[in-house]
Amino acid sequence: MTADLTQATRAASAAKASAQRRAKPAGTIALPLISGIGGLVAWELVVRLMKLPPYLLPAPTHVAQVMVEYWWMLMRQLGFTAFAAVVGFLIALVLGVLAGAAITASRTVDRMLYPWLVISHAIPKVVVAPLFIVWIGFGLTSEIIFVIVFTFFPIVVNTVTGLKSADLDLLTLVRSMGASPLQSLWKIRIPGALPSIFAGIKISATLAPVGAVIGEFVASNQGLGHMLLQAVGSLETPLAFAAVFVISVFGIAIWYLAELVERLSIPWHASQRGTILGA
Amino acid sequence: MNAVALSKVEKTYYAGQGDVHALGPVSLAIRAGETLAVVGPSGCGKSTLLRIIAGLDDATGGSVRVADREVTAPIPDVGIVFQRDLLLDWRTVIDNVLLPAELQKRIDRPTAVKRAEALLEELGVAEFAKRYPWELSGGMRQRVAIARAMLCKPAMLFLDEPFSALDALTRDQMNVILQGVQAGQGVTTLLITHSIQEAVFLSDRVVVMSGRPGTVLDDIPVHFPRPRRLSLREGPQFVDIARRIRVHFERAGVLVG
Repeated sequence: MTADLTQATRAASAAKASAQRRAKPAGTIALPLISGIGGLVAWELVVRLMKLPPYLLPAPTHVAQVMVEYWWMLMRQLGFTAFAAVVGFLIALVLGVLAGAAITASRTVDRMLYPWLVISHAIPKVVVAPLFIVWIGFGLTSEIIFVIVFTFFPIVVNTVTGLKSADLDLLTLVRSMGASPLQSLWKIRIPGALPSIFAGIKISATLAPVGAVIGEFVASNQGLGHMLLQAVGSLETPLAFAAVFVISVFGIAIWYLAELVERLSIPWHASQRGTILGA
Repeated sequence: MNAVALSKVEKTYYAGQGDVHALGPVSLAIRAGETLAVVGPSGCGKSTLLRIIAGLDDATGGSVRVADREVTAPIPDVGIVFQRDLLLDWRTVIDNVLLPAELQKRIDRPTAVKRAEALLEELGVAEFAKRYPWELSGGMRQRVAIARAMLCKPAMLFLDEPFSALDALTRDQMNVILQGVQAGQGVTTLLITHSIQEAVFLSDRVVVMSGRPGTVLDDIPVHFPRPRRLSLREGPQFVDIARRIRVHFERAGVLVG
């Protein structure tokens, strides 16, 4: 008993130490901050010393100035892009998990669909983008479908991987307790697959803004992608840089949101354990 | 009355590179309330035997009857503890213990919670009820697995080398703890183990199996009064029984010296 308790305490201390290591902000925040600021200063100096024209390469201070000036327009365009990205991603999430479950549940569906899914993923999606205008027309629907095409595959693949790699011993255990196939799915397969599904979600979450922007390049007259094209076309490079900056921040934010949802949903998983006892 | 009756049970695995005759024929019975330990060398089919009795695997010959019924599917009134504790990472300790009640719905949740708490208390892990399994040591995890197996007051408890992954000291502790739980429940127990000492200490009868295909070499009654203390293992009668088992392994070449 004492030995057990000692081991448990040791496990708890180890996890706490690991949590503290994770939480230690000094190096992890300061160093990238220093290099980032250094990069911006260098960029500013190059533009000023070489007297580069803003249409070729605007200085960071110039981009910041344009961002302030066009702030509300940028936010409005971000709203369009974010809407397409989030709606497309959520539809892909539902479809992807359902398709993954169907592929896992039925060997026939697996054999019929999975090879084609893999083959279709190999087709460069940007190449088929113009075809969506022919098939669906110009506008938000095309844009959303483009996001779905971009984000669907990682979710399906990771769902299938997660559901198929259920621990056979756990399945035997619940079978010995009289579990029905549905109970096995609900109690063992799905919770066990969540880490893998979240891995797919995080990949797709970063692809969603990319899909939305490319959709706006070819099939929309609104959103940051469209704005970016227009700014480049009219040599308003500082505005183009501002749009790129906003898209990037949005991409990072959506990734962190997915990370947060993962942390709250699977606190038990090895990747999150340090944060439990540290909290 | 027999809780389990096996008659000429056999198991052959049909594989591409030739069939493997893993078990049998085995005929034996386990009386209601009895603790039967099965010892044998690795690969002799001990675990297969347990899985066949539990209805988790099909025999390729003979018949298996549990509570006077032919076994054709997983039997309902049994708690099983496997070599791996098989606790679900995503459930807290108490939720792991409650799993069989959720699946079988034989007892309502408030009753199940009360019983789970009592079992965790009895097994000395009540203070970790809200923790996740990864926060526990191997011995504590296996206690939780025992609590889970006992939750629905099963008529039978099957233990498939439950303590083989634990260190010697923890293993001794677990033997004493298990004996206490068994005594409280009066449950018919089938224990599969590699450990001769563990088999003699915990059981009312030890069945010694041969190497593959596993058959019964010896069936030894163990009549020590309960509760048993660990010091029992140093007594001459205990040593005699352990020696009788060991001789079978020495003859088979499993143990030398």
